Amino acid sequence: MLNMGPQHPSTHGVLRLIVTLDGENVVDVQPDIGYLHSSVEKMMEHRTYVQNVALVDRGMDYLIALNNEEVYCLAVERLAGIQIPDRARYIRTIFLELNRLASHLVWLGTWAIDIGATTVFLWCFREREMILDLFERVTGGRLHHVYFRIGGVYADLAEGWVEECRAFLDYFLPRVDEYDTLLTENPIFLARTKGVGTISRADAIAMGASGPVGRASGIAYDVRKAVPYEVYARMEFDVPVLTDGDCYARYLVRLVEMRQSVRIIRQALRELPGGEIRTRVPMTMKAPRGEAYVRTESPRGDLGIHLVSEGGETPYRVKIRAPSFSNLYALTEMMKGWKIADIIAILGSIDIVLSDVDR
Amino acid sequence: MRLLQRVTRAVTALATGLGLSFRVMLRHKVTVKYPLERVDVSNRFHGLLALPIDPETGIDRCIICFQCERICPDRCIHIEAEGKGKERVLTRFDIEMDKCCYCGLCVEVCPTEAIVFVPHYETSTYNRSRLLYDLEDLRRSAPKEPIARGIVGGMRR
Repeated sequence: MLNMGPQHPSTHGVLRLIVTLDGENVVDVQPDIGYLHSSVEKMMEHRTYVQNVALVDRGMDYLIALNNEEVYCLAVERLAGIQIPDRARYIRTIFLELNRLASHLVWLGTWAIDIGATTVFLWCFREREMILDLFERVTGGRLHHVYFRIGGVYADLAEGWVEECRAFLDYFLPRVDEYDTLLTENPIFLARTKGVGTISRADAIAMGASGPVGRASGIAYDVRKAVPYEVYARMEFDVPVLTDGDCYARYLVRLVEMRQSVRIIRQALRELPGGEIRTRVPMTMKAPRGEAYVRTESPRGDLGIHLVSEGGETPYRVKIRAPSFSNLYALTEMMKGWKIADIIAILGSIDIVLSDVDR
Repeated sequence: MRLLQRVTRAVTALATGLGLSFRVMLRHKVTVKYPLERVDVSNRFHGLLALPIDPETGIDRCIICFQCERICPDRCIHIEAEGKGKERVLTRFDIEMDKCCYCGLCVEVCPTEAIVFVPHYETSTYNRSRLLYDLEDLRRSAPKEPIARGIVGGMRR
């Protein structure tokens, strides 16, 4: 028996793994969660619909604040039947994809440093900083934006931002190739990841794995394609699906996703229409009695919110379907039979954020 | 033979990686020496909150409508006023900056742009009580010209 965490540097947050060992071989792994529980679902019941945007930003996954705002705003908009202007939909799509890039960069950097590639970590954070600068120019925040509002977005794009964003994308694609050069063919990296931590398609489905983890195991499912929201239906992009189900496949899937995100942002910037960015919604809005469930594709997988309204200013009940939580449970299956050194590589490869797991 | 292959592969990988790293080393560097050099933040940056002084009247623009107090998700704004009708004066405007989540909803709802963000971000202190900003502090921290503006009756940049 071995306790890993809750204060282990490689667990990316406060996760405790109770590992049963036989020599160096892992017999069983039990994740122990709840150290970062912030009861965001309960807190949302005591705040108005408008105030909750600020809460989902930080209460859920803190690396993908805009994706959280998106799923929450979509749920309220569906509940109250609010239509948002076309320009706002495009702006939202651009920011969602930029946030996906930022999140994948954090994942790639921290995972690479876990398995011993320090350079990639520094390079990834260099590029992520540029994305955060782009965010700051428009939203005013770097991590927590409170930018999406029910009925649109808060402010229009800053002057010259579209050109800056294009310039960044032109700069960014060759950088992805550089990560590729450093990692994809590297024999040490291959030895650490290829064939390690496999999970079969059936197991992945049974454990509810979604997002890049599911797609690396052969589940051809992406919410952006299956149930398109915002303007994803008008965008051309590919969903990478691999069948190996190992750490290396998960890495390749995310690398392709980054390139596809750049492709989506470029299309959205090209087609960006003019006009209004926000439908007028009163600050003291009340949602009609009813329920809504909305799912979106966050960088970690299928992120959903179930919202129940009793007709008041605050939601009656909120349930968040967190992708990290389901992916964490696929972990036990992945780790069985591997060596203790592989635990870190496998844990890093599923890209969990503990604030999303515990909520 | 297999050994030879593996050695070649290792050497090639090492050479590729080091070559790329070396090329990147010659590029323009992106880091700054933080306390000595600083990067500019954008003019929409969510920094400290402030009550700017209106140069025409010599006093802040607050009309004591309590909207910011009501919208604040963390309930960190406390306002009190004295007098009636047009004679009303602000006697207390406290913001607990340790509670503030910098969401900007107060800046958004303010009908007169009385409360704004200033791009100042170094707010750490040794004592928590110093994070309670009262009326004096908020007026003092205001810039000569409001930087981040609220949105009045529609979209304004």
